Amino acid sequence: MPTAAALRLQIETALAHRIPSSLSPAPRTIRPLAPTGIFTVDNLLQGGLPLGAITEIIGSECSGRTSFALSFTAQITQTGKVCAWVDVSNALSPESASAIGIDLNRLLWVRCGVTNPITPLSSQISFSLPPKYLIVPPVKKGLHGGGFGPHPRGEVKGLSTAVSGLLRPEAIAPRCAEPQRRTKVEKEIFEPNPPQSIRSIQRTLTPRKSWFKPWSKIDQALRVTDLLLQAGGFSAIVLDLGSIAPEFASRIPLATWFRYRAAAERSQASILLLTQHACAKSSAGLVLRLQPAIALHDEPTVFTGIEHRVEVARERFTPTNVVPMRKQPQSDRSASWHSRTAWAGQR
Amino acid sequence: MTRPAELYACLYAKELPAQAMLRLRPQLRERPFVVMQGEAPLQQVCSLNTKARALGVAHGMTKVEIDTFPSVTVLPRSHAEEQTAKSALLECAGTFSPRIEDRSDDTSLLLVIDIAGTERLLGSPSKMGKTLLHQVKLFGITACLAIASNFHAAICLARSMSPSNQVAITTSGQEGLALARLPLTVLDLPEKYAETFSLWGIHTLGMLAELPEKALVSRMGQEGRRLRLLARGELNHLFIPLEAAFTLEEHMELDTPIELLDSLLFVVGVLLKQLILRTTTRVLALASVTITLSLEDATSHTRTVRPALPTNNRQLWIKLLHLDLEDHPPQAAILALSLTAEPGSTSKVQLGLFSPQLPEPMRLDVTLARIRAIVGEDCVGRAMLKDTHQRDGFTIEPFTIPSESSTEVTSTQPRVAIRQLRPPENISLTLIGHQPKAFFFREKQYTVERAYGPWLTGGDWWAPTLWGNEQWDLIARSRDGELLGCCLLRDLTQNSWQMAALYD
Repeated sequence: MPTAAALRLQIETALAHRIPSSLSPAPRTIRPLAPTGIFTVDNLLQGGLPLGAITEIIGSECSGRTSFALSFTAQITQTGKVCAWVDVSNALSPESASAIGIDLNRLLWVRCGVTNPITPLSSQISFSLPPKYLIVPPVKKGLHGGGFGPHPRGEVKGLSTAVSGLLRPEAIAPRCAEPQRRTKVEKEIFEPNPPQSIRSIQRTLTPRKSWFKPWSKIDQALRVTDLLLQAGGFSAIVLDLGSIAPEFASRIPLATWFRYRAAAERSQASILLLTQHACAKSSAGLVLRLQPAIALHDEPTVFTGIEHRVEVARERFTPTNVVPMRKQPQSDRSASWHSRTAWAGQR
Repeated sequence: MTRPAELYACLYAKELPAQAMLRLRPQLRERPFVVMQGEAPLQQVCSLNTKARALGVAHGMTKVEIDTFPSVTVLPRSHAEEQTAKSALLECAGTFSPRIEDRSDDTSLLLVIDIAGTERLLGSPSKMGKTLLHQVKLFGITACLAIASNFHAAICLARSMSPSNQVAITTSGQEGLALARLPLTVLDLPEKYAETFSLWGIHTLGMLAELPEKALVSRMGQEGRRLRLLARGELNHLFIPLEAAFTLEEHMELDTPIELLDSLLFVVGVLLKQLILRTTTRVLALASVTITLSLEDATSHTRTVRPALPTNNRQLWIKLLHLDLEDHPPQAAILALSLTAEPGSTSKVQLGLFSPQLPEPMRLDVTLARIRAIVGEDCVGRAMLKDTHQRDGFTIEPFTIPSESSTEVTSTQPRVAIRQLRPPENISLTLIGHQPKAFFFREKQYTVERAYGPWLTGGDWWAPTLWGNEQWDLIARSRDGELLGCCLLRDLTQNSWQMAALYD
């Protein structure tokens, strides 16, 4: 009786001219992955994010895209590799990056569309009294330090004018027969000095819609990413389009993403794309969609953290490429995790 | 005690002013060319090339006389360029022997190199001489070389040589014979002695050497004895070696003011080639290059480029200088430029088999310079945190690949990241009982679910600043159910609200 292997070989050779290697599955390609540092997400993705591919992370503001990308970058810098953060909206906070565990020496930060830095000026306003309330420096006259001449007799000189200066004018004004109106004493107002700076603050604090027309920033960021991919050697490049409205981000030509995908494959760099809406389409190797977050209310007085939820929207490289005959049990395609603020402590 | 064997090589380059100019202007070498010196109406030819001499141009001709030769190119004399040419040749000679004496005069270069005892290292004197002349030729200078065991004999022989006769070697003891046929002019005699000798009918060194010593001393004093010994090739000399500092500097004055950067880079390329030649002879590389441009408005523009690793790649240096000057262009036309360089050790990078893949330092330098040209000077690099609680308490430093391993510790728990809004955006906010209740942000209305705060911020206690800011952490939700965790700042002096950061 022929064995199963012999039968299989017989069938395969019979069908070879029509279907080559019909019964033996194609060798499985193991694609390298890098962990994200978030346990539940690593479990969901069976190891982490793919190397040498574009990973697109979609979500609204506050959905957890930045903390996810920073956590992944921290894992990479820990292994001694270098990463680049192309910051389209100049929104990265190095303090929080450091708190997450990124080695800032290994992170090249490129800030696009930076205007001149404006610091809130209110901390620079110094309050001071008007000069008339300050002690006037003594006028030097004669030989003595503050006297009025060489002789003590001269010291009373000018005393009468000084006394009259102290008195209010109505006290010494000549009285008339008809009653005189009392002059109303104006209340003195202390104002911060100098008034010019306040005007300049008001001018600078007029609404600036820097997020409104971001074309130049996007253009800069895409050119910079191109250069970084050409230079090679960066293990992860994060292109942060997270604050760019979908109507702008979706206008980036698809050829750009295709080019990035090819370059990433060549240099084995992971490109993380943070967006509000899917842009890279079929060029993305993995698309993660972050659902609106839920705030945690652990403490009544301080903000302690957010619960994020993520689901896999698209995965280009499935673990196996054998198409089963039966429908397989579907695995859960979503995960959630809690991220805490730095001041919340360990929980 | 026997005297140690002496051997001197005398390197002689005539017409140094013209050769120094032609060194950096190779296109003029095939044309008649003169260098003039002096104040404007009284200029005179101080140096010229062979092509000009063939036309009939001579030293000391005035500007009017030169104007009768239409094909002659005229340039004013530049002492700075001569000095750089001279130091380049000194560098070159220094690679053969550390003992060099400089006997140059105003228009020619004369270096006497003590090469005694270098045979085993550099080969025979003739081989060494050819190598030296080849090196000198690479610098763009034509020179001749005489080798003799007497210092003064070597000088006299070198002075008498024509450039076609490149290396002349005189064996020890034969100096008198070799010098005998030379005219008295090679001795550089004072005028009164030259006149006396011509009256006596003495025209060559051989004739001078034959004169009886005592009779010569009785007529001319000790100077007569010295001249006789010189002519016989027997005068001893105390060698005073020159100790030149190793400075890498090239200077060039442009013929016409340049405004275009591209045309400047051609000149920069020529100067860099010279600098790189000098560093390679010392097995060094250029670590940093400073370019100083003298501008038409009597100011100067200085830029320094320092890549991550010292390199001798000329194309890389030109690209880095180009990108830097494009970023910081000079404000007026350029009259002259000088390049100063610092040497560094040639870069050796030992790559590990299991070390992570990192950017190549040279390519990274060019990439960073290109990115700087796109986004601006202060917007590329690595962030360095300052020890402060102020907003944006960081500085940007140039990015370099760190060699040591990372010391940061990743937090075990996922942390909330902050997205800063730079500058903070103004918002309008509704307060009920001193608590925020609703606000408009980016043309959307949000209702506040939770408000944490206020905390007073801003100001250092030691500085005379106001604590005029309040910070609030708000959890708000828009009408379409979107959550917004944000950090708000309230300016107490202005009573205005600003969105400072978002928790993401």
